Amino acid sequence: MTSTLTLDRVTYRYDGTKKNVLRGISAAFEPGKVYTIVGKSGSGKSTLLSLIAGLDVVDGGQILFDGDDMRTLDRDAYRARGIGVIFQGFNLLTTATAVQNIVLSMNISGSRVKHKKQHAYDLLAGVGIDRETAGRPVLKLSGGEQQRVGIARALSHDPRIIIADEPTGNLDQATEDEILRIFTGLAHEEGRCVIIVTHSRRVTAVADEVLGITAGRLGVVKKDQGPPRKAAVSGGPS
Amino acid sequence: MYILNNALANVWRHKGRNALLGAIILVVIAASVVALMISSTATSIIDDYKERFSAEVTFVPDMEKVREEAMAESEDGMVRMVMPTIDADQYLAFGESEHLADADFTASTGVVPEDLTPVAADLGGGSGMMTMGGGGPGESMFESEPMSFTASLQGNKLAEFDDGSRALAEGEMPDADGEALVSTELAELNDLSVGDTLHLAGELRNIDEGALESIEYDVTVVGTYDDLTDEYGTSPQQNAFTNRRNEILTTYDTVLSNYVAGMQGMQVAATFYLEDPDLLDAFTEEVRAEGLPDVFDVTTDSATYNAIVGPVEGLKSVSVTFMIVVLVFGGVIIALLSSIAIRERKYEIGVLRAMGMKKSAVGLGLWSEILAVTAACMLLGLAVGSLVAQPVTDVLLAGQIQAAEEAAAAAEAQGTGGGMGMQMGPMGGANQADPDAEPLADLAVALTPGTVGQIAAVSLGLATLAGLTSLGRITRYEPIKILSERN
Ligand SMILES: Nc1ncnc2c1ncn2[C@@H]1O[C@H](COP(=O)(O)OP(=O)(O)OP(=O)(O)O)[C@@H](O)[C@H]1O
Ligand SMILES: [Mg+2]
Repeated sequence: MTSTLTLDRVTYRYDGTKKNVLRGISAAFEPGKVYTIVGKSGSGKSTLLSLIAGLDVVDGGQILFDGDDMRTLDRDAYRARGIGVIFQGFNLLTTATAVQNIVLSMNISGSRVKHKKQHAYDLLAGVGIDRETAGRPVLKLSGGEQQRVGIARALSHDPRIIIADEPTGNLDQATEDEILRIFTGLAHEEGRCVIIVTHSRRVTAVADEVLGITAGRLGVVKKDQGPPRKAAVSGGPS
Repeated sequence: MYILNNALANVWRHKGRNALLGAIILVVIAASVVALMISSTATSIIDDYKERFSAEVTFVPDMEKVREEAMAESEDGMVRMVMPTIDADQYLAFGESEHLADADFTASTGVVPEDLTPVAADLGGGSGMMTMGGGGPGESMFESEPMSFTASLQGNKLAEFDDGSRALAEGEMPDADGEALVSTELAELNDLSVGDTLHLAGELRNIDEGALESIEYDVTVVGTYDDLTDEYGTSPQQNAFTNRRNEILTTYDTVLSNYVAGMQGMQVAATFYLEDPDLLDAFTEEVRAEGLPDVFDVTTDSATYNAIVGPVEGLKSVSVTFMIVVLVFGGVIIALLSSIAIRERKYEIGVLRAMGMKKSAVGLGLWSEILAVTAACMLLGLAVGSLVAQPVTDVLLAGQIQAAEEAAAAAEAQGTGGGMGMQMGPMGGANQADPDAEPLADLAVALTPGTVGQIAAVSLGLATLAGLTSLGRITRYEPIKILSERN
């Protein structure tokens, strides 16, 4: 099976720092699977996700999306359509309402959905945000609510890859389970590639593959030990 | 389209920041409105006065030079000052200048009307003709016919119909060639009525060459005029020739129909109007080349013009300077403010970029937002500006007039200015302001479409300045940096 996303000896160092955060990371991410990445705080998980998200380019090695080097790709378009990102810090427009955030994301992606606002409300309802909450500025939402808005936004433009940085960190167990059901559904039923950075055992438990990051390198911790996965039905590799 | 919608939503989302930026833009625009209203109204008034004053050219004999010349020519110690004249040929040549917007020509010649009894016949009338008609001293041509009198045939000399001292009594004004007016007195005396034809004979000559040429006119009386002018005007001699009731008025072309270049006996005068007062020097050069004697100064009535329009010109330059200062300072403040505002909105920009929005789209959004704020400020600024423009104008103009008066008083106290004009007499006064010339004290400023257009341009400029400052910052922002810094 061809991987949607391939990392080949990726290295990365922040400007103005001496040490490489990432030192030769290689991995292949396939559609229809849930991956989790674990590692100590400060080990470089968010950094890796930023590179996968196309927010910056690698210093060494390469990241391939459908075989295309991310360095040469239109990364704006990739971020707008190819990938859905749930940031650790949410990264929502705080003065805009939840629903405005999602409609804007759909607009940026050039989504052809007819009733964008209604679609946004539906997506928010899917993560447990009611209409009243959806109409409030993000600034006036709780951390958990903001996190769920972030998840809804990541799904709003129907991306083939979804990456999430601690997506359940601010959620209670019941909501966490609900969110995880969504993630596994996206991978196992819709054939998307889902990559989650987490500290939560409940999350790693549902993963098809668990990768660990230590000293800037990535290793496989667990493979295919999650619940039996179903065949991909859509959005698989072309 | 969504970029625009989001930008409009952002106007409200960042109302605090936008209100601050807007307040400064409003001040700049309102000040510009006032300044532009003043300057455009002042400009149109200045243009109007320029047309009325400084475009009219006069040839003024410099009496100082006339006297010097007379003294130089004097052989017996007697100084005979002769008023210099300009030949008809020269006037006609000057009129060809391409610098002229307009030229009003008048012409006159002495003629002997057949079978006409003049008003004041008892005073005689032939002798005056030579001095008036030819400017040359010497014999009268009509001495052999003592009964004849010489009348002045005047072409296009109709100014007195404008000031009311002459008025059409019957018939109509001469319009076509060969049409003429006579005074009601002359008509009565000779039983003339509309439709009658007058036969007029005259002579042109060249004294130097001893040439003589007879000329004839047949003019049809088309009307009569009532004459309220002083019968003998400024003429020192009183006879039938100088009596103004004997003047026969016709068109310029009629008189000129007998014009012969190089011959004297026909006077041509002209008032020239320049296309633009600034062309005075070029025009002067041209008429000098055509042979205008050095004793003539070529002038426009700039002193009177300055006395009247000076304060308005001062007001205009004050308002323009003021606007430039406001624009420069305002521009700097706006640039600084929007630069700070963008730094504060770095996170928002990072989020938009992370969502896949292109830099250009982010920039367009910010620019639209500023443009929307500016547009609102423009409408408000136009309203505020046009409300305060009139009172501001009144205060500033009063200040300018006072300053001009003080300057004039200071000049007089120093003894410059006044004395010269007295020596030179009324003719030399062309560079002296008409003492009756009151400065323009009222300037009714108005908001013209042109001003609105200029304000729109200023507003667009301000918005673009703010937008470019923002844009310059955005390009330096990489989303990963912004977002990781925040996390
Ligand atoms: N903008 C930055 N400039 C310099 N160094 C940075 C920057 N952002 C992160 N780092 C450093 O890079 C390393 C990796 O950071 P990263 O955020 O990827 O860790 P993480 O694994 O996501 O940690 P956590 O579990 O706490 O979220 C850390 O040592 C961090 O201090
Ligand atoms: Mg992290």
